[in-house]
Amino acid sequence: MHKLYTFLKYTFITLWTVFIVAPFLWAISTSFKDFQSVNSKVTYIPWLDFEPTLEGWRVLVKSPARGGVDIVEPYFNSIFVTCTASLISIILGTLAAYALSRFTFKAGFVRNNDITFFFISQRIMPPIVLSIPFFIFLSTIGLLDSLLGLVVVYIVLLMPIAVWIMVDFFNRVPKELDETALIDGCNPYQAFYKVVLPNSIPGLIVAGMFCIIFGWIDFFFAFILTFTEVQLLPVKVVALNSSITPWWSLSASALISVAPLIIVAFVVERYLSKGNLSGALK
Amino acid sequence: MELIMAKIDLSNISHTYNPSDPNPTYALNPFSMTWENGKRYAILGPSGCGKTTMLNIVSGLVKPSKGKILFDENDVTNLITEERNIAQVFQFPVIYNTMTVYDNLAFPLKCRDFSKEKIEERVKSVSDTLRLSSFLNLPARKLTADQKQLISLGRGLVREDVAGVLMDEPLTVIDPDLKFRLRRNLKEINEQYKTTLVYVTHDQNEAMTFADNIIVMDQGEIVQVGLPKDLFERPKTTFVGYFIGSPAMNIFESEVSSDYSVKINNIEIKTNSNLSKIKDKNVKLGIRSEFINVAEKEGQNTIKALLTRVEDFGNFKLLTANMGDFVIKSKVNREMPISHGDINLYIPPEKCCVYINEKLI
Repeated sequence: MHKLYTFLKYTFITLWTVFIVAPFLWAISTSFKDFQSVNSKVTYIPWLDFEPTLEGWRVLVKSPARGGVDIVEPYFNSIFVTCTASLISIILGTLAAYALSRFTFKAGFVRNNDITFFFISQRIMPPIVLSIPFFIFLSTIGLLDSLLGLVVVYIVLLMPIAVWIMVDFFNRVPKELDETALIDGCNPYQAFYKVVLPNSIPGLIVAGMFCIIFGWIDFFFAFILTFTEVQLLPVKVVALNSSITPWWSLSASALISVAPLIIVAFVVERYLSKGNLSGALK
Repeated sequence: MELIMAKIDLSNISHTYNPSDPNPTYALNPFSMTWENGKRYAILGPSGCGKTTMLNIVSGLVKPSKGKILFDENDVTNLITEERNIAQVFQFPVIYNTMTVYDNLAFPLKCRDFSKEKIEERVKSVSDTLRLSSFLNLPARKLTADQKQLISLGRGLVREDVAGVLMDEPLTVIDPDLKFRLRRNLKEINEQYKTTLVYVTHDQNEAMTFADNIIVMDQGEIVQVGLPKDLFERPKTTFVGYFIGSPAMNIFESEVSSDYSVKINNIEIKTNSNLSKIKDKNVKLGIRSEFINVAEKEGQNTIKALLTRVEDFGNFKLLTANMGDFVIKSKVNREMPISHGDINLYIPPEKCCVYINEKLI
């Protein structure tokens, strides 16, 4: 019985791993192919099945002379916008969440839970609803087609996630912890950053991870709110496509687009395996 | 070493958690009380009677709806917790997970900018008392629940200058042997440093062995403040009679029959209370099972009852006897020979407490 269980477990894990890894292997392989190797017969292994070429990668950095697009600048634009918006969202979101978790607010019929729901409701709404308001808003304040404009819009999108995760997290940090810190001689701000915040690192990491993922993968707003001055990675990757689909450079760009998230995943995984996040994730 | 002492005055304090309600329910009804410096107080009462609210008001975590708090005649009602010099220990361990045991114990002193040497000296002294010395460099989260509670306790004791250490059932999670030792440690600390200790508990034995003064609370009301002996022998209300002592006080419905006696089930019982001025003849007679003795024959102040149960507790025997609808419990020496059937029980007049509307006269 036990052996059967172990066997099934490992079979399942193996299949699942293949399912996850295979597309990556396929993309890595394809990124080194040329037109011939992609469009003739099916090929798998470099040097054996086909002669590898760096063409797919080269078009990503060189100027668009040979049907390629320069994605280096959009890449750093994306990193800048995602990191800045995530950082600001986490800072503002954590402060808002702490207040919502610890203090009681009343405004007419509005209570803490309503305010929390207001934040979450921003994500329930389909994004397309916001496209025209955002467009008009950014053009009014002159931030259309600019990095700063995108940061502003992404904060609106990411802060609800941070608030949502952190309210839930703070609610599970016992109130006695803050009270003890007050009794031990902290003022309320010190109690927050000396005691509550260090205890909330798992929550901050989870919130940060979600912000980075959702910021990084957004195509919709990047597509609508930018034109020529500023472009973000997802938009530029799509622009790679043309009448002849360049599978090799699309594969290469897919791989480098995923790379930062894989790094984030590895960093977070270290905390996950320590069991520190068990409470933060449920 | 200079000791900073403080007398804590609670003046006309009352508190409600829903002040906007036109008919608010009070967690604490108006009361006044003084905690003398250097004494040990126990607050005793059932769950939800307002014990914790009272502590939180003193430490400043809760602002009372009405009334004033004075530390040595200084009004601290509007001071926030940080500015009051109070240490408080909660029922369940609260530790700073991200710090070591040492840093946990040092935190209250660090927050108040004590010198490094002073901090080291105090942490060492407290960790020796609580036997935490060998764990000082471990991360606090690695310790067991009762060790964590010792850390909480240690953070309360590490400051010598506090006006009082408030403890909210601090020993609940600690095993009985250590509990006993810690209570003694707390007493020693109190005797040595003259720190006022206030100790909330629902365990009467804990309260009786720990405190100089016991404050009994029920439903937001302070029912009686006194020495353990007073609470036991002269409970001010029937509630205190029920709540303190094991088994609870015997309480009988009775009626006044003359100036100094009452009738239970038509048997006249003499008491030492003057009942001549009482209009309502329906009273309650309270007597501790410890004071009821088995009499050899019928006489004055004896009642005849049918013995229904004898329980041997090792150090005493508990007799349960019935007289009509009345159940009488008596604690007797375990060597005493007990006959079956009817027994005579003697009720000493000087130990009788008479209650009108649940209050002692």
